[in-house]
Amino acid sequence: MQRAEQQDGGLQRTLYQVCGFLLLLAAWQIAGKSGIGGKTLPALTEVLRVYTISWRRALLLRAAAATVSSAGIGLLLGTTLGCLTALTAQLLPALEPGLDRLAVVVNALPAIALGPVLVITAGREATPALLAAIPVFFLIYVAATSGLHSADRRLGQFFRASGASWGTRFRHLDAISALPALLNGMKLAVTTAMIGAVVGEWFGAPTGLGIVILNTMQNFQIPLMWAAVLVVAGISLTGYAVSGWVERVVERRMS
Amino acid sequence: MATIELKGVSKEFRINRERSVLALGAMDLTIREGEFIALLGPSGCGKSTILNLVAGLDEPSTGTVTVDGLPPLQLQAKQQLGIAFQEHALLPWRSVEGNLELPFQIAGRKPDREHIAGLIELVGLKGFESARPSQLSGGMRQRVSIARALCLDPKLLLLDEPFGALDAVTRRSMNLELQRIWQEKQITTILVTHTVEEALFLADRVLVMSGRPGRIVREVQVPFPRPRAVETMRHELFHHLVDDLTLSLEPEYKEP
Repeated sequence: MQRAEQQDGGLQRTLYQVCGFLLLLAAWQIAGKSGIGGKTLPALTEVLRVYTISWRRALLLRAAAATVSSAGIGLLLGTTLGCLTALTAQLLPALEPGLDRLAVVVNALPAIALGPVLVITAGREATPALLAAIPVFFLIYVAATSGLHSADRRLGQFFRASGASWGTRFRHLDAISALPALLNGMKLAVTTAMIGAVVGEWFGAPTGLGIVILNTMQNFQIPLMWAAVLVVAGISLTGYAVSGWVERVVERRMS
Repeated sequence: MATIELKGVSKEFRINRERSVLALGAMDLTIREGEFIALLGPSGCGKSTILNLVAGLDEPSTGTVTVDGLPPLQLQAKQQLGIAFQEHALLPWRSVEGNLELPFQIAGRKPDREHIAGLIELVGLKGFESARPSQLSGGMRQRVSIARALCLDPKLLLLDEPFGALDAVTRRSMNLELQRIWQEKQITTILVTHTVEEALFLADRVLVMSGRPGRIVREVQVPFPRPRAVETMRHELFHHLVDDLTLSLEPEYKEP
């Protein structure tokens, strides 16, 4: 009974979301057709037509593959480093304030300023992945640190009174208790990684959606530019949705 | 089984740089092997502090706590301490069975399936082996947490208001249950409670505590023979003792 009601509520919410989304698209279409937005805002149908032209579709797919792989590498690298740093802080509490400050400093460096430095030191190809990794590292470090502190206090006392070693406690309690916070961080990290990768490509990567956006902007290929932007948004949102789903599944399994 | 000795034990908690609170005044207490002790008192009287000191979860500010002549940390390390709290403190992502495997895993031993099955039966949860804590009632969760405390056949059982969050009816049936379980194992036990009936029904000796600073104001040897049944609670002497002890819980109570 209650479950059915909940499902009804969920259905209604989804319906609202779809309606809102459709309204937005309709507004775009009208604004584009009427020319309110000037030449740089094409109608939605014009943008969508780009996807039907096969060589453009191939171009976008190739670019998307490059960007996704940069973002993916950045995500992996940032997550690994973030988790390792959080673990270090947990193992050696004396280092925690220092590591906190380090993470904040790393995160405070603006990507735009860091880009040229990375191009010089790590190369154009590696820059997108690295610029994706930096904010991911910060998000995951913060999420993992708070996650590792989130174990139930009484459970912690139970482990202590039972004579559990650090490793046992970590494996059976802290690591699992950290999952919801970590996955919540992942959800944000996925979109941040995409932004980092696209911005990183602007510094002269060989291919990628960021390059397509940059080139089409300079060559005034407006519908293609919008088509590339939509692909970026689509990938980001898909990543967000997938990690949100994983988070919900894990949370349900854990409670 | 274990003998517990507290000698000149006090505990002070610092609130900030200037202020600190004396949770426990200097106290001596000996608990005999196989004895069931109830620490009875209002909240904030330091009864949980005593339990934490014996469990080795806290260090005394002065004095010594020993279990069989050794510091509690050694008992911890040897996994001879069973503990259960008011909050069930079960792993929510594990089944009843999985939660009972935990003490074995902590001890680095292979879970003893037969023993676990026996414990599940002992606490009356047969058929719920694969249920997760969220699928159980409050009383059932507490049974699991008591079964978990018994998993490794501890020398010492510490119960910190294990039924404090339960309704009166469930609490009474849990008391009967615990009495039956204890009758089988006869482990040295310290029960912290603020319910007079619970303390009288379960314990061999009831220690009444008063707060600020926490101290033992009264000690009562419970005269009822074991095994005790519901009838014990209807006994005139039981009622009399309940009234008597309830009075000594009042803040104005003067030590005799």
